[in-house]
Amino acid sequence: MRIRQALYGLLATILAILVVRSGWIGAVRGRPQTEISFWNGFTGPDGRVMLELIRRFNRENPDLKVSMQRIAWGTYYNKLMVAAVNGRGPHVFVIHASALPRMHRAGFLEPMDSLYREGGVPEEDFEPIVLRTTEFDGHRVGVPLDIHPQGLYCNTDMLREAGIVDERGRPKPPTNREEFLRAASLMMHPRGAANPDRYGFALTHWQNNYQSVFPQFGGRYLDERGNADLDNPGNVEALEFLGRLRTEKRLIPPPDNQLGWIGFRQKKVGMVFDGVYMLGDLKRLEGLHYVGAPMPVLGHKPGTMADSHILCMRKGLSERERDGVARFIRFLSENSLDWAEAGQVPARRSVRNTDRFRSMQVQYAFSKQIPYMVYPPRIVPLFEMGLEINLAVERVIRGRMGAKESLRIADENAQKAIDRDRAESQAPGGGR
Amino acid sequence: MSSRKTRALLGWAYLLPYATLFVLFVLVPIVVAAYLAVMQFDLTSPRSAGFVGFRNFVDAWKDEYLQRAFVVTAKFAAMMVPSLVVTAFALALGLNAMPRGRNTVRALVFLPTMFTVAVTGILWQWFYNLEFGLFNFILRNLGLAPVPWLSDKNIAMPSIVLMSLWWTSGGTAVILLAGLQNIPRMFHEAAALDGADGWRGFWSVTFPLLRPVVLFVVVTNLIGAFQFFPQAQLLTGGGPELATRGVVQYIYETAFNGYRLGYAAAMSWMLAAVVAVFGFLQFWLMRKEAS
Repeated sequence: MRIRQALYGLLATILAILVVRSGWIGAVRGRPQTEISFWNGFTGPDGRVMLELIRRFNRENPDLKVSMQRIAWGTYYNKLMVAAVNGRGPHVFVIHASALPRMHRAGFLEPMDSLYREGGVPEEDFEPIVLRTTEFDGHRVGVPLDIHPQGLYCNTDMLREAGIVDERGRPKPPTNREEFLRAASLMMHPRGAANPDRYGFALTHWQNNYQSVFPQFGGRYLDERGNADLDNPGNVEALEFLGRLRTEKRLIPPPDNQLGWIGFRQKKVGMVFDGVYMLGDLKRLEGLHYVGAPMPVLGHKPGTMADSHILCMRKGLSERERDGVARFIRFLSENSLDWAEAGQVPARRSVRNTDRFRSMQVQYAFSKQIPYMVYPPRIVPLFEMGLEINLAVERVIRGRMGAKESLRIADENAQKAIDRDRAESQAPGGGR
Repeated sequence: MSSRKTRALLGWAYLLPYATLFVLFVLVPIVVAAYLAVMQFDLTSPRSAGFVGFRNFVDAWKDEYLQRAFVVTAKFAAMMVPSLVVTAFALALGLNAMPRGRNTVRALVFLPTMFTVAVTGILWQWFYNLEFGLFNFILRNLGLAPVPWLSDKNIAMPSIVLMSLWWTSGGTAVILLAGLQNIPRMFHEAAALDGADGWRGFWSVTFPLLRPVVLFVVVTNLIGAFQFFPQAQLLTGGGPELATRGVVQYIYETAFNGYRLGYAAAMSWMLAAVVAVFGFLQFWLMRKEAS
């Protein structure tokens, strides 16, 4: 008798699950649910913020069901590319502005001009430099969700201990080269004595740190014809400056020290350059007091590197799916102030011009760099160029090569990658 | 149906699950890779895909990064294989000589081999950490300077080899131990009667009789060493300054970061050719040994 009851119970449960999963209830009510798949690489604390936004969207839009898949950025683009090229990609996904040229050329991004024209996403609410990253062949292929510039993080306890405070006694992050060098030196020797375990400044991601500095020296990635220009005088000067911090001034830890970001978290490093997205990591720490600030002007003018998360749609969706994706993108764009909490600067000006955003100390400080920030170049072989930049910086920081020679090698190799890509993308079989 | 036919069908049925997976995940990719190797096939520009004959191979032959990656891979193999054979041999001889508790110790020695490379890599990342790693903690307590295990160009590769030794020597030791235990006792007794004990006995009796097993161990590990990838990917990412980026990692990056599948397939065929040479060498030596 008991076994029979258990079997009936099991049968009833299976039936209930099948009915719910089939969407039959929604259909009976006249509202069939449209499923929208959403992929991104938000595997850190930012993923939890995004999940909360999605739950809210699903509650407010019962006819749509957005389900999110988070994949670590390290393998995200491989999976997205392979799935999307074969027509099995998600409906909506996040792509970095710097990765858009590759993804656009692969041919699976749906133009989204109509979303700007009549879909409720106002063009004029975005900075032109950010919007430009989404433009290809006269069409916009995505909606920028955020901006993440590189900036300066400072340990306020270490600043105060080194006596770097303003007239009201508040810690004062450096704003120019002189202040920066002074702060780095004073924080390393707080009471006149050197502490081998303590540094005023450390490099984190060498490639990103360098790219945040060279725009200040008038450096650039490409020349006017789109050829590699990594060994231009501005880039060389910037790399010489960073190299000297280690090889001459001994202001940054030896490359093998691996202090960088971990050192900042451990209160062993007073200042680091990194992206606004690292804020999520700092928020989890207790006892670390810090502020965010724009990159100090180490060169001749303000400058930093930035990137953006762009919301894109796959080609080949049905009318209903397109409508659902458009509504979802508009929702995220309009609610990007919540997203900013995860450690981002909203791409929309109206969202940034709110008291709530201004109260987000780090995000607001980093957002001040928008007028002069620089995006990575819009080229397909960006991975190859990034690798060359990284190697060039590494050779100099390790004191193995001068900046000029190191960048000349990087430039030569990056140009090879650009030439190959040009040849191979022009005609079937390459036409070389 | 005759019983012979039934047995044949049964045999095929047993084979079917493995054969299906083999065809799907080994044979089909090999055929696809052969096709891609003679194509220009870049995922970012599918429209420009086309037949290019051996151009990918010619380009790869001239590719300085590939040459460097082959040197790195050869370096790993040259460090790894001899040290593995020596370590595993020492472990196997020790285990063989144990009168009691051999099974327990063998299980313990074999344990690291059961870990996946990901687990091993993460574990050793912590061991090697400059600031709070186990090894530098020990060095500091001994009053010695910490060692940049993974970030120094000259130390990174030996560090990876050390991790790989810890991870694989147990498995190899068990194979050698099985070989040692298969040597009939009478050979050792006869040698002892002739005065060949200790080292003399080892070199004159044990080692020659174990040669086929040693050969198997050397060649299979050499082939494995040429597929060197996950250890470096997990511990150093191929750095510092590409000092630990092997061929497989370069192929992976070309295919999945650069999306140049055709070129990556050509390089993987070149690597396969090198590995095949060792495979044939093993086959030839084993046959020679048997005859």
